[in-house]
Amino acid sequence: MPAISIRNVTQRYGEPGSPQSVLAIDNLSLDIARGEFLCLLGPSGCGKSTLLNIIGGLMAPSEGEVRVQDVLVRGPLPDRIAFVFQESTLFPWYTVAENFGIGFKYSGIAKSEWGDRTAKALSSVGMAEFTNHYPSQLSVGMRQRVNLARGIAAGTDILLMDEPFAALDEQTRMVLGEDLSVLLAETNKTIVFVTHSLAEAVYLSDRIVVMTARPAHIKKIINVSEPHPRLPAFMLQPRFSEWRNECYAALRDEIRQAMAAAESNGDPP
Amino acid sequence: MRGGSALPARLIQLGFVAAFLALWFVIGRTGAISPLFLPPVEAVWSALTALVQTPQFWAAVQVTLTTIVEAYLIALALGITAGYAITRSRFATKVLEPIVSSIFAIPITLFLPLFILLFGIGTASKVAYGAAYGFFPIALNTIAGLAGVENHYLNAAKSMGFSHFGTFRHVLFQAAFPVILTGLRIGFFVCFASVLGGETISSVSGVGRNIALSAELMEPARMFAWIAVVIVAAILLNGIVSLFENRMRKGPA
Amino acid sequence: MTLSDANIRRPAPTPCPWLRLSGTAKVAWTQRFIVTAFLVIWEIWARVGGDAELIAPPSAIVRALFANILSDPDIRAAIALTLFEIVVAYVLAVLGGLALGIAIGSSTISRRALYPIVLLLYAIPQVVLLPLFTLGFGIGPAAKIAFGFSHGIFPVLVNVVAGMQNINPLYLKAARAMGAGRADILRDVVFRHMVGSFFTGLRLAMTMTLLGVILAELYVSTAGVGYFTKLFAETFDPAPLFALIGTLAAMAIVLNVIVRTAERRLTRWKG
Repeated sequence: MPAISIRNVTQRYGEPGSPQSVLAIDNLSLDIARGEFLCLLGPSGCGKSTLLNIIGGLMAPSEGEVRVQDVLVRGPLPDRIAFVFQESTLFPWYTVAENFGIGFKYSGIAKSEWGDRTAKALSSVGMAEFTNHYPSQLSVGMRQRVNLARGIAAGTDILLMDEPFAALDEQTRMVLGEDLSVLLAETNKTIVFVTHSLAEAVYLSDRIVVMTARPAHIKKIINVSEPHPRLPAFMLQPRFSEWRNECYAALRDEIRQAMAAAESNGDPP
Repeated sequence: MRGGSALPARLIQLGFVAAFLALWFVIGRTGAISPLFLPPVEAVWSALTALVQTPQFWAAVQVTLTTIVEAYLIALALGITAGYAITRSRFATKVLEPIVSSIFAIPITLFLPLFILLFGIGTASKVAYGAAYGFFPIALNTIAGLAGVENHYLNAAKSMGFSHFGTFRHVLFQAAFPVILTGLRIGFFVCFASVLGGETISSVSGVGRNIALSAELMEPARMFAWIAVVIVAAILLNGIVSLFENRMRKGPA
Repeated sequence: MTLSDANIRRPAPTPCPWLRLSGTAKVAWTQRFIVTAFLVIWEIWARVGGDAELIAPPSAIVRALFANILSDPDIRAAIALTLFEIVVAYVLAVLGGLALGIAIGSSTISRRALYPIVLLLYAIPQVVLLPLFTLGFGIGPAAKIAFGFSHGIFPVLVNVVAGMQNINPLYLKAARAMGAGRADILRDVVFRHMVGSFFTGLRLAMTMTLLGVILAELYVSTAGVGYFTKLFAETFDPAPLFALIGTLAAMAIVLNVIVRTAERRLTRWKG
């Protein structure tokens, strides 16, 4: 049984038939296996984040359904699905530890476990000394590390990550990407990861789903059959470049199409 | 906030004013509040209509307006000059900006008796007081605006070979303009309020003086008439300034 | 001096002490220098050139401070009463602003309906209502407290309403994703965010309350601080007037510092 089963999901904004109606996602179906690291790769505004929100129950699809571990998704499932967003969503008015606590409280985890889970999660990302700091006292990279740890500490089987490294500079991204790969090799979580970065997609995923420009559907699925855990040396291998070139070939036209569409709408690029 | 919500807000404000006047009317009829404190709205209305026909009214308005304008022009000239001069050097900015904002932290109102001591009880003291008060937001915002122009803009201008004046005109001034404009707006309303305050507390002429005088002479209807004049003027001014500011902002966008 | 002497290495001459200071120290010393220079010039000018009936030198002001102001029980009482009025007005303004702000900000309907009225009132220069306040409340402390309250309540109100509104939607999204219910979001996200905004408003509230109380005090020239400012302004010795105003200014500064320190302590998370 797949961990996540997406069936004929269509997402439409605005009244159907009206001129403002926008078809964001067009009849998309996909199965994601347990323990798989799947990447959604596509041009800006193509609907990857929308799809992620639909999978996680933050948004209901116009048509179709999503099943998680054979349970129909009708709203957030905090005990099965955890989110990691692009910007740090650590609440600024709570310390790091309190931020973890809030998440545990909402998913009904017993208070006695909070301390241990928090400590373990923070040491796994190297942020154990910052347990009682406020987010404003941490750099952007550190905040996103903690954000990541919070997502993992939720202890869910499924982790949905929406461009978690987008706000970071290239070098921090690389380092965090390596750390993430090592971290996740130890667990058996199912990950759905949205990104713009081709290198990131190839480095981290088992499968890459290349999506088209709006309306989104699956253009190509690329299998990255490199064993886990992935090591930095992987990036130097010729096969890394081949996979990345495959992504680019599939993606290039979609990017241009998306930019042209944005310009004609008067959107800023 | 969507732009469409401006109209309902205006309607609510109008509705509030209408309700306020209606309540006032009812209170006047029932006599629930002493007419020595709150005269009936009709009495205030007739006092107002009588008032605006007297030459004394227009003389007082002229005095106050002149005072405000003079105070503002001085504050403007001094504030922008000071702000510009201070930001010519990074060191000067670091030294002087805290001094200026510390002085502003003291309620300048406290110095009103000093202004009256130095300049007498006539309009000169109110001009000085208003100018002193309005100087600060203008100077501080000019400093903030000019000092806050990001280095990469200045570097770009330098690399393109801009002259000193060219850099000021095309980069510094443009980038700093919104912040300075806000300072000018705040400065104006500060001058407006402080001149009125100075006139109310200690003066021989002007709108503020008339409000205080009407209170002293136990002529509540007249006092409310004067207050109404100020309130209407303030609301109109606010509206005009907002319109002007929006027009200015849409320009360089 | 022989050639060989010239080859002897001498220790480098110590740079002038000024250059050895760090940047911040230089700024601080320059500021102290400016303030001192200002006082010195004031002192000299007041003694030599200024009109003795209009400007008092700092030394005379300090003398008057002890001889006329602090030693006079009536003046001390007036200053203490002013302080009392400020504190009471401030506490009332803060509590009132908080209560009213929560009431207005807690539902979109009430905010849309009532906030425009708040903005309308904010645009009126309250000082023209001062004679009205004294007519209604008399010339005692009540009028001054009321006037200070009506000034100070606005910044608190505005900040509380804003704090309940301008929340980054990503926080709401994250809370929902973590499984928070409506009540949870109100308590852990909205309320907390509002409190941060509220504390920022406390500083401006003190500034406005000070303004209101002082305006009222100066207006009433028959009692309190206003009586003494009028009294001193009409003598030929300006030093006591300067001293009295200086004392009040010092009081205002101290109050501002207290509020600002409290704000910084309480919003440490804002960074």
